[in-house]
Amino acid sequence: MSTADLPVELIRTLSMTLVITSVLAVETRRLRFAATAYAAQALLIVALLTSFARVNPSLYWWAATALLTKAILIPYFLFRFIDRTQPVEVRPLVGFGPAVVVAAALILGFFRLTHTLVELLAPCGLAREETFRTNLAVAATVFVLGLYALLTRRDAIKTVIGLCLLENGVHLSLVSLAPDLSETALFGVASEVVVTVFLLLYVIEGVYREFGTTDTLRLKELQW
Amino acid sequence: MVSIQAAAVAPAAGMPSLLPPTVFLLPIVAGFVILAGGRRHHGFCRAIALLTALAVAVLAGWMAWLTVRGLLPGSTLPGVVLTAWRDELRVDALSALVMLVIGGVGLLATLYSATYLEHQPLLDRVGVGRAERRIAIFYALLVWFLGTMSWAAVTNNIVMLYVAVEATTLTSGLLVAFYWDRRGLEAGYKYLMLLTVGITFALFGCVVIYAAGAATGQLHGAQPLLISRVREVASLIPARSALVGVSLLIVGFGMKAGLAPFHPWLPDAHAEAPTPVSVLLSGVMINVALYALARTVSIFFPALPLLTVFLVALGSFSMLLGAVMALVQDDLKRLLAYSSVSQMGYVLAGVAVGTYLGAFGGLFHLLNHALIKALLFMAAGAVIYATGIRRVSSLGGLASRMPVTSACFIIGALAIAGFPPFNGFMSKLTVYLALADSGLWWAVGIAVFTSLVTLVAFVRPAMRVFWAAPASPDPALLASREVPVALWVPMVVLAAVCLLLGIAPGLAHGLLDRAAVLIATVGG
Repeated sequence: MSTADLPVELIRTLSMTLVITSVLAVETRRLRFAATAYAAQALLIVALLTSFARVNPSLYWWAATALLTKAILIPYFLFRFIDRTQPVEVRPLVGFGPAVVVAAALILGFFRLTHTLVELLAPCGLAREETFRTNLAVAATVFVLGLYALLTRRDAIKTVIGLCLLENGVHLSLVSLAPDLSETALFGVASEVVVTVFLLLYVIEGVYREFGTTDTLRLKELQW
Repeated sequence: MVSIQAAAVAPAAGMPSLLPPTVFLLPIVAGFVILAGGRRHHGFCRAIALLTALAVAVLAGWMAWLTVRGLLPGSTLPGVVLTAWRDELRVDALSALVMLVIGGVGLLATLYSATYLEHQPLLDRVGVGRAERRIAIFYALLVWFLGTMSWAAVTNNIVMLYVAVEATTLTSGLLVAFYWDRRGLEAGYKYLMLLTVGITFALFGCVVIYAAGAATGQLHGAQPLLISRVREVASLIPARSALVGVSLLIVGFGMKAGLAPFHPWLPDAHAEAPTPVSVLLSGVMINVALYALARTVSIFFPALPLLTVFLVALGSFSMLLGAVMALVQDDLKRLLAYSSVSQMGYVLAGVAVGTYLGAFGGLFHLLNHALIKALLFMAAGAVIYATGIRRVSSLGGLASRMPVTSACFIIGALAIAGFPPFNGFMSKLTVYLALADSGLWWAVGIAVFTSLVTLVAFVRPAMRVFWAAPASPDPALLASREVPVALWVPMVVLAAVCLLLGIAPGLAHGLLDRAAVLIATVGG
């Protein structure tokens, strides 16, 4: 089957919605809502992978793994953690107004940048096709939004969500960059994220019990 | 002094072997055995962990021997490359060198932890009731940590390299936070978060390099995943794509290796982890990360000539910053941690020159730093074990009470500062020569100056802790005595090896020579 059989419109819509869920996951201060946005993003990724799987059947495996890890396990850990600690995020370093402007600038700038310079990132023929180009641009945008969340949020749980976005960005890029990745490698990459999130939340829960907060700026025992 | 000259190496042929999978699967199985059987029996956990570490050390020694001296049937040229699982796992001399570090230091650290962890004041820090359960988990994570590091050393698959390196973070994360108090938790959170973010960059880099390798059209199917195959087609990869991939790898693996400016996790984690874990983090883990960096990035030195200069500059920055930060520390373990940042700078600067001499010096220093830093952390741990104090300014006059520990510490301090006749002198000298040989005189200047700073940074606290009169007559100081045999034997072994490699560096020549050839991609 050739890449012409891809549902281009569907992929484009899913990709754009994906970016919106990233912004919601980063910007919403109600943590349950942010976790829901993350879960929604995970489902969109599964849908995207399934659409791409028409030309590359091994992506069905990837979609199934993503469904289990990203859409079920990680949101489950997040919800369980939020219920045990606090429902609202500690005030971020930047206010809501400027945050929206920064996020919008990041999205537009980075999407355009990756979309135009895709040869730099991936000198392969596949990535030059429009659909895969969009996929890479979306992947890079989600990656940058995750990084932005990590740098500007002081709530530990928000940094975990930022980390998840970062990973989602890289995993999305695998569709265009690494179409022949073996199942073992996919399994390794996907399961590692789950373990990371689990361990991080476990430690953050310890931090919450000891420090009484999940504000990372209050972690000041160790300086220099 | 050894004559450092590349031996004529024929392209080593692969030999199918069961050693590469065994060396990392064995510890992983052992970890499950410990968890299944050892909840209530500390002796059982200890025995399994010690046996596993011993097995890894023996297997590593065997692999090193085979890669240097092994003969293929019908061949007369010594030296083989061990392969398994259709080249997914591949042990050449470079992997064997790293495995030797993992096995050797791993065994001594496990031996050390057997006594260190049972020390009552330290267990009290964990909390009554918690400690009982934690011991089994500690040993399970310890052998998993060894297993995942071994996996990173033997894999030839670039994506699996990421998976293995990230797995080392996951297995050691709870070890760093072992004490589960404010300091431990803060260090654990920073450790897990920063390293995972960093390593995600490395995954991106690995994937970009894989895609670039596949796009050359020379490799098919899963071949572009294999580092050894990508190396063959590296000259066909467009320089700009290589640059994108390499930059991501430098951020990712560089962060894991503790190179400045990506080092902020390191002093916290190394200082707050229980001492045997500090030994493994500083002596082994950051070396494994630097190995991953050297293995992947060195492929692209010929295509990106400025990359070597940039990496030497990064290494120089790291050595200087680490040494200066070590100078102002009052906490014994943080001092050692910052010194690791500095020493990894030397290793990187050596390897990044890209010539045979540079690779030889860098790898020799990697080996030496592992030995010396393990020794120093063990000696610092012995001081903490005996007195419960970590602040240099509160310690004093321990030399008469703890003669073995003080002798070991001072040997380590002189060795790390590059003082003859210890091993650090030999490897640093080789790095200086390699830098000078490539005309990077500014880097030689920084490296020599950093060595002097290191000497001051170490000798001053060593004098204070062991020879000066204590600032206040703390009862803990007066009651201190030499640590038990199981703690000082590993130190004495390491100190002896440091001296031996300083006097007779030729002992390591065979392995280092073959390993250096593998990453020396610049020059003849």
